Order: sequence, then structure tokens, then C-alpha cells
Amino acid sequence: MRSTGNDIVALALVNNQRTGQFRFYSKILSASEQELYYQPEIQQLPFENYVWLLWSVKESAYKYLKRLDPTLIFSPTNIIIQHIVIPGVSFDEPVAAQWESTGKDDGLYHGKVVCGLRTLYFRAKINEAWIASVVNEDECFDDVSWGVKSINNAGYKYQSLEARLALINKLSELLPGDLRIEKSPVGYPVIVNNGEETGVPASLAHDGYFVAYSFVLSSDIVLA
Amino acid sequence: MDRKTILTELKKVLAPYTENKEMLDGINEDTDLMRDLKINSANLVDIIIDAESTYNIEIDFDSADRMYKVGSCIDVIIEKMNQSA
Repeated sequence: MRSTGNDIVALALVNNQRTGQFRFYSKILSASEQELYYQPEIQQLPFENYVWLLWSVKESAYKYLKRLDPTLIFSPTNIIIQHIVIPGVSFDEPVAAQWESTGKDDGLYHGKVVCGLRTLYFRAKINEAWIASVVNEDECFDDVSWGVKSINNAGYKYQSLEARLALINKLSELLPGDLRIEKSPVGYPVIVNNGEETGVPASLAHDGYFVAYSFVLSSDIVLA
Repeated sequence: MDRKTILTELKKVLAPYTENKEMLDGINEDTDLMRDLKINSANLVDIIIDAESTYNIEIDFDSADRMYKVGSCIDVIIEKMNQSA
């Protein structure tokens, strides 16, 4: 069974002072992740961005794994980022109203995340306004689509609606038909096309004035 | 401190992190912080830190993992208050 998991963190909502306190970040970062920050290339990243990058990847991994094991409880310090590759670009690039992955890794953070016996791989993007991430079971993300969109209202109902809309709009470019989103009993989105479940794993996230989606669309589903 | 008193105090801890004030007024031990109060998961650590300050306790990693429902939050708070007594 394939899965996907994504997350977004709106940086305007981050309390940098609190994030820098040991009693806060030690509830998110494992001891090994606290050590990992001291690698010179990783220290290019402000510490608060490092904490929320790892939070975002952990959330994405949890969503991925929750679909496979509905009994899973989110435990940030037990989902461990073991390796991070920092992109050779600045994270303070201008924020576009909409961003979509291109399938290339240019400008993306990437690495490996482990939860128990499962190893997953992540891609993440950081700009001035947000940190977004997605995880996959394979190091190759060719069939993983993910994106971020800014919205005008940060109310919960509006966020939820806009996240679903962003997902449907992107999917409809690739899958013709009458697409809609249902919710599984566990809480993840289920993509239905012409009244039938597509089997396309999808994930939604929102925070502040941003919504994000991911889905995995293999070529056999597109061609079916 | 009994469970009812802790629940009343807990409402004040949760208030900054939910826009669903009507639901907050009517919370009970089965209320789920994320599903019912629509609290963003990123705020769960804030809630744990605020609970630590409010009740003068320290909540370890394993206990923090249980704090998803109001009832389990109260369980953890009572457990930690008893440990520090």
C-alpha cells in the first residue's frame, strides 16, 4: 500500500523565542537531532528554522505512516531525521502565491527519516514565509506531486476548504473525471473519481495563510 | 486539585490555540484537542509548555505523547503533580 504525507509551517506564527528554549525544542528534537545541528553546513540554517523543518518532516512522516498503521500516535522524538542535505540556495527567496514541485531536487532540502523499522525520505522547501515538506518511501520522488498555495483567510474552515480545492485543482490537470475528496475514518483524504475510489494516496496540510497538498500518481493510474 | 478544577484551568491553557470558543466552553474529558477543538498540531508543544508553567510540573516525552484528549491531559497533569508533591 502506497502512502504520502505532507506538512506546512507558517513562519509568521512561529514564536522564535520559545522555539529556542531547551524545554521547547527538546520535546521535538531527539538527542541525535540536537547534535546534528552542529554540523557546519546545517548551522547555515537559523536554529528556529531547523527546529520547524524537522517538526514539519516528522509531521509528514507521521501522516505517511498513520495511513499504514491507524493506531500510530504522533511522537515527535521517536521519528528521527538521520540525514539532511542543505540546498545550495538561499532560503530567503521571495514568496510566490503558489508553488509546485517540479520533480527536481534543485533548491530543496532532502534527507532520511526513520521511525522504528521504517525508513522514509523527505523533500522540503523553505522560504521567508513557510516551511513545507513531503515524505516518500522511495528516494525517487518522480511520481510525488506536492505544492503550496497562499490563501486570504486563516480561519479553520476556510483553510480546510482551500487545501482541498488546491489538491483537486492539481489532480484534475492529470486525472480527467468528476473528482472529489472524502475523508477516511482515520482522517486522511480519499480521492474519488466518478464515484469510485482511485487509490491515489493524498495528504493535506494548512497553517496560517498557507495550504499544502501532496499525492502520488503512478503512470498506471493516469493511463487507466 | 480535582479533575473538574483542572479541566476549568485547562480551558485557559487551551484558549489561545483554538478559534472554536463555543466548543471550548463545552469541553469534556472525551474532547480531542485536534479533531474537536481544531488545534493545530504545531501548537501541541506550546500547550504542553504552558501546562508545565500553569501546574509547575515537568512533562516528559513519553507523557507528552498521551496528551491528545482533554481526559488524558488531566491524567498526565495529576500524575506529574503527584510526583512533584
